[in-house]
Amino acid sequence: MGDLLDKGSAWLESQRTLHMTRDVTYARGIITAVVKATIGRTEYETDDGQVVRTEFTDRDFLISVADLILNGTATLPEEGDQIREVQGSSVLIFEVMGWRYSDPYRRTFRLETKHVGTENL
Amino acid sequence: MSVMTDVADAIVAELNAATLSQPVNAVRSYLPQYKLTEMQTLHVTVVPKGIVLANPDRSRSQADYSFDVAVQKKFSTGSNEELDVLTDLVQDIVSFLRNKRLDSFPNAVWMKTELPLLYAPDHMDQLRQFTSVLTLTYRVIQ
Repeated sequence: MGDLLDKGSAWLESQRTLHMTRDVTYARGIITAVVKATIGRTEYETDDGQVVRTEFTDRDFLISVADLILNGTATLPEEGDQIREVQGSSVLIFEVMGWRYSDPYRRTFRLETKHVGTENL
Repeated sequence: MSVMTDVADAIVAELNAATLSQPVNAVRSYLPQYKLTEMQTLHVTVVPKGIVLANPDRSRSQADYSFDVAVQKKFSTGSNEELDVLTDLVQDIVSFLRNKRLDSFPNAVWMKTELPLLYAPDHMDQLRQFTSVLTLTYRVIQ
């Protein structure tokens, strides 16, 4: 009968990719790939540095493991990678600060990013 | 203007006029708060911190003024080469201000510079940003 939960997870992942994603550009240096991403938690925060404080926006992206192919090779995310998301006439640039698998079957990456810049289209 | 702000402005002027390993555009601020999106460029901020008063003798008063100087920049790769440049700048600032009389406030005498932690590890880890805060103390006797 196989692992029913595994099959269910695969189906859910396919539905997420089909119905709950938008195209973003994943970049590592000059290597880029367009991938489908689900926007996760987005929060505006301020760190509690005692002398100097930094405001930032946290945003999580969910990306299918199978979609993250750079230069023709399946790859794991790395800190410093960037996700470029078009919003209106702007491109929001998010930097990967960390990542983990989002599901027990390792089909989806949850990328923890911070907004580091904005460019005009 | 108070001595506190005068000395802070004098430190800002010295840093902006100095020839360091890279040019800086220091500013004085009471509560430095920047957006991460602004941190691709170097920020050097002088923050008035506190005063310790004492009487060196019966006729004079002595005040030790302390200031935090924050050096901040978002890094991209986090390689040693990239971070070494910022560490060099911090070291430059430390060396430049050591024993230096402030041109626009010569009555303030440099007493010490403290840098107990070269950089903030939480900023390094969570923001991929270099943040270094050193504390300067200047003595003014009146």
